[in-house]
Amino acid sequence: MSTTEWRREDRLPHIYCSGCGNGTVINCTLAAVDEMGWKREETVFLSGIGCSSRAPGYINTDSLHTTHGRALAFATGVKLARPDLHVVVFTGDGDLAAIGGNHFIHACRRNLDVTVVCMNNQIYGMTGGQGSPTTPPGAISTTTPYGSSEPAFDLTELAIAAGANYVARWTSYHVKELTKAIVEGLQTPGLAFIEVRTQCPTNYGRSNKMREVSDMIEYLRSHAMLVPKYNRLIAEGKPIPEGTFTVGELIRRNRPAMGVRP
Amino acid sequence: MKLVIDEIRCKGCNLCVLVCPYRIFQEGTELNDRGIVTPVLDRPERCTNCRLQPLYGRLLCGVCQMICPDQAITWVDERPFEPHKVEVEF
Ligand SMILES: Cc1ncc(C[n+]2csc(CCOP(=O)(O)OP(=O)(O)O)c2C)c(N)n1
Ligand code: SF4
Ligand code: SF4
Ligand code: SF4
Ligand SMILES: [Mg+2]
Repeated sequence: MSTTEWRREDRLPHIYCSGCGNGTVINCTLAAVDEMGWKREETVFLSGIGCSSRAPGYINTDSLHTTHGRALAFATGVKLARPDLHVVVFTGDGDLAAIGGNHFIHACRRNLDVTVVCMNNQIYGMTGGQGSPTTPPGAISTTTPYGSSEPAFDLTELAIAAGANYVARWTSYHVKELTKAIVEGLQTPGLAFIEVRTQCPTNYGRSNKMREVSDMIEYLRSHAMLVPKYNRLIAEGKPIPEGTFTVGELIRRNRPAMGVRP
Repeated sequence: MKLVIDEIRCKGCNLCVLVCPYRIFQEGTELNDRGIVTPVLDRPERCTNCRLQPLYGRLLCGVCQMICPDQAITWVDERPFEPHKVEVEF
């Protein structure tokens, strides 16, 4: 098969703004499921609410576009009723970490056998750019007009602390690496969490001095640091540049999982 | 193989311009029928996938297609195959 066969071509072009990273994340996820050789009839995509959560609507499999924050609750139901199905969850930073925060940590604790792809654009994109739990300090949003004064969640650390079996982070610029990480996630029994730092040019870039899509991509590219390099700098006691985030595999372990395919 | 941009899907974000190692995509200057400035292709026959896909039987490079958020980049078969004189500068 090819990714074309996983898409609902009749629904394209999609509703995302020009330059929105969500479309890229869909490409990478479909390339990953295609590489797994899964059957469309045995694969289910779920999501909550948000721009990111509209992704399953463009995919040619059974899917559930659920209520805000609850995709993982629905995914738990799907997995326990039909553990033979492959389950992939698309979510956003607001969907996963704000309203859906408890579902997230408990799905990780149970180590539910699903793969969660979070499109983290550090903002509520769909509703007009309100701050989310991942909006970085200092960032302008419609709810933080003078710059956010709160610390932000590191979603990967949350997933690791709560018990997920596989955790990785990449960006919408690192398309090949991201696809590989999603494949790793799909292969891992238990909860696989892949955070994708992505661009929302409309509601984040424009209010944060990144007018062009290319400015946002440049930001992602230049602030991403490979995990080994980060660890080396820390070990050597060297300073980490402001705004740096790690990319790569962050944990892989073998805790008991729930809902694994028989 | 021939590289094509789907004018109906492309939203003119120019991410392809940013990633192609051969700079095949160039920022466009003219609005199309849908009011979008889509990139123009500069000697697309230089594309790795255009040249070598038939030989290897799989997608090569493909970074533009992967990053294109609007699923607008594809390759079509050329029939009959037109040989091109290709100069690739490294
Ligand atoms: C129960 C409920 N509360 C609030 C909303 C409004 N709402 C819709 S999308 C959204 C935030 C989405 O943010 P995120 O998950 O980051 O998705 P993005 O659009 O950024 O991809 C909110 C608050 C809703 N639909 N349902
Ligand atoms: S508002 Fe932001 S996240 Fe939503 S489609 Fe537009 S660019 Fe993408
Ligand atoms: S496949 Fe690679 S070489 Fe060919 S046009 Fe795309 S980015 Fe350029
Ligand atoms: S990346 Fe895709 S949507 Fe963006 S300009 Fe290139 S072809 Fe058009
Ligand atoms: Mg968001």
